[in-house]
Amino acid sequence: MKKLVFSGFVLMVFVALIAAGPAWSKEPIKIGGIFSLTGYLSWLGEYKKKAAELKVDMINQAGGVNGQQLVLISYDDNSSPEQASKVAQRLISKDQVVAMAGTASVPLSGAVASMANRYKIPTIINSGYAVDTSRDPYLFNTSHKTDFAVITAYRMFQKKGIKKLALLMPIGPLGEIGGTAARKYAAEYGITIVGEEKFDVKAADVTAQLAKIRNMNPQVIFSFVTGEPAALIGRNMDQLSFKVPLLVSHGNANPGFLKLVSNVRTQMLVPSGKVMKPEALPDSDATKKVIVEFNKKHVAKYGEPANYFSAELADAIDLIAEGLRTSGGTDPVKLRDTIENIKKFVGMQGVYTFTAKDHHGTSPDDMILLTVKAGKWEVPR
Amino acid sequence: MSDISHLIQFLFSGITVGSVYALIAVSLVIVYKVSQLICFAQGEFFVFGALTMTTLVSKGVPVPLAFFLSIIIAMVLGALIQQVLIRPMKNASVGALIVMTIAISLALRGLALLIWGRESHVLPPFSQGEPIQVLGAALQLQILWIVGITAVVLFLIWFFFEKTPAGIAMRACAENPYGASLMGINTQKTTLFAWAWGSGIGALAGMAVAPMLFTQYTSGVMPMVKGFIAMSIGGLGSIIGSVIAGLLLGLVESYTIGLISSKFSDTIVFALLMAVLVFRPNGLFSRS
Repeated sequence: MKKLVFSGFVLMVFVALIAAGPAWSKEPIKIGGIFSLTGYLSWLGEYKKKAAELKVDMINQAGGVNGQQLVLISYDDNSSPEQASKVAQRLISKDQVVAMAGTASVPLSGAVASMANRYKIPTIINSGYAVDTSRDPYLFNTSHKTDFAVITAYRMFQKKGIKKLALLMPIGPLGEIGGTAARKYAAEYGITIVGEEKFDVKAADVTAQLAKIRNMNPQVIFSFVTGEPAALIGRNMDQLSFKVPLLVSHGNANPGFLKLVSNVRTQMLVPSGKVMKPEALPDSDATKKVIVEFNKKHVAKYGEPANYFSAELADAIDLIAEGLRTSGGTDPVKLRDTIENIKKFVGMQGVYTFTAKDHHGTSPDDMILLTVKAGKWEVPR
Repeated sequence: MSDISHLIQFLFSGITVGSVYALIAVSLVIVYKVSQLICFAQGEFFVFGALTMTTLVSKGVPVPLAFFLSIIIAMVLGALIQQVLIRPMKNASVGALIVMTIAISLALRGLALLIWGRESHVLPPFSQGEPIQVLGAALQLQILWIVGITAVVLFLIWFFFEKTPAGIAMRACAENPYGASLMGINTQKTTLFAWAWGSGIGALAGMAVAPMLFTQYTSGVMPMVKGFIAMSIGGLGSIIGSVIAGLLLGLVESYTIGLISSKFSDTIVFALLMAVLVFRPNGLFSRS
């Protein structure tokens, strides 16, 4: 008799559990973040992490995705590809994330790409890494393509009649990428590349190279570098009284760069996402509203506006969330497909339309060219 | 730009970094002579000097005042560290003391990270103006400041050690601590002064060269290594040796970067160190 009552009790509990089953699956959806919080890229890693966390908060406060909350699990990659690979493995195997976001440089993105493809976890990176969908079907990129940055600058040069460009490229892959992009679009915008010099990014001085460039009589110099080397070139140009503008990489669209060039007189030209100067956008620009709203929340939480790196991650989280909404579930393989099918999604970096061939989704129209005046970002006249 | 102007440009870079290495090496020697100890935290005083002055100037403090305030702050910091962390270890082995200075270096670097963050900071040059053109090479005014400051510091050191009672007492302390104390010289006070001097000069090096670089919390590592190499090449106890070795090192580095490639500059510097250690292990200018 006791046994019967006991089994009946167990049966009832069992039935109750099954009935309550669907409610149990309201677990949070796990997204992995890989950020450079230490090492040579740490100066931009913080911006990315803060933006990703804010965007996850914003989505959760609006009710989450498919009734579930998002949770961001982030690790530090120490600016090292080996470490990035390790934390990606950890996120995938131990934390079982459905998607990943982050990686601040080409080598870091490459290290994580192989994990993403092997384990079939959709990953939205943000670096100069050009996503070739035949090799990296699980990778997407919210950083603007180098080509777009060059086109944005060239459009302005064409308008102002600037025709002669000299290249001062860093030794290494970034220099190659910059040089190739510069040459690819030169003819189309009436630009002549009058010559190229190379330099070591760790050098404390490039006056020798600049002196040689001066003999080529350029109207503008293009150096595809970010941070200190870019500021150093500007400083050296001041010293040589070399009065032409200096075009640098779009990685400089952040507040730290304003401090680095605070004493530099050379006109710095920085291709940028629209996030850096929403006031310059017409109200008809769809991204303006998203940028202004995110900026308000970013200032409220962190005391400073968002920058290029923040926008990359805010969009990455947004795109993952949108993919999850469409897929209705948490299967990573299906998520990759739904992200790839996203069309005309308004983010901060631009309006995203992905295809099977294009996992960047944005266009040159999503960038603007900025210059620095009196410690602030301005649109050059 | 002709080849002569390139060579002159490299000379200017060489003298610039060479003066910085010389100052750091001298600060290491002063502490070594009196404490028989190599202070591996010197690079962090370099950084603290530069970043403190940068913060003061950015808040509107006039440059000369910021300059002297930063030196004094660094000297107080050095004195505090000696009193609180080094003096209690007076019976410890040299090895333990060196490890302590390394630990202090790491702690100071962490402190710098907390105060100034990860970003690079810029200090404006001490005086505004176009560089002076010398046969096609540009001599930045800040270089004149660096060389001038180095010369003044060296003169003051010479004057102090040769002509003032306190300085002579310090030399006595360095040569024979026991004998010195028998003569009524306060060895404790002397050691304290040596550390304060050392950190002050290290900070000075950092401030003088900061307008030519971008300073951040890890900027002290390489200057420490190069200053130590200069000290080793010049002879551990020789101030003159450190100065000459520091300048030599700076010039070798600059010409290697300019004429060969920046990939080899560190290699050649270490090769030079190894050569000196093999042929003149006590340094080029030591007396023993």
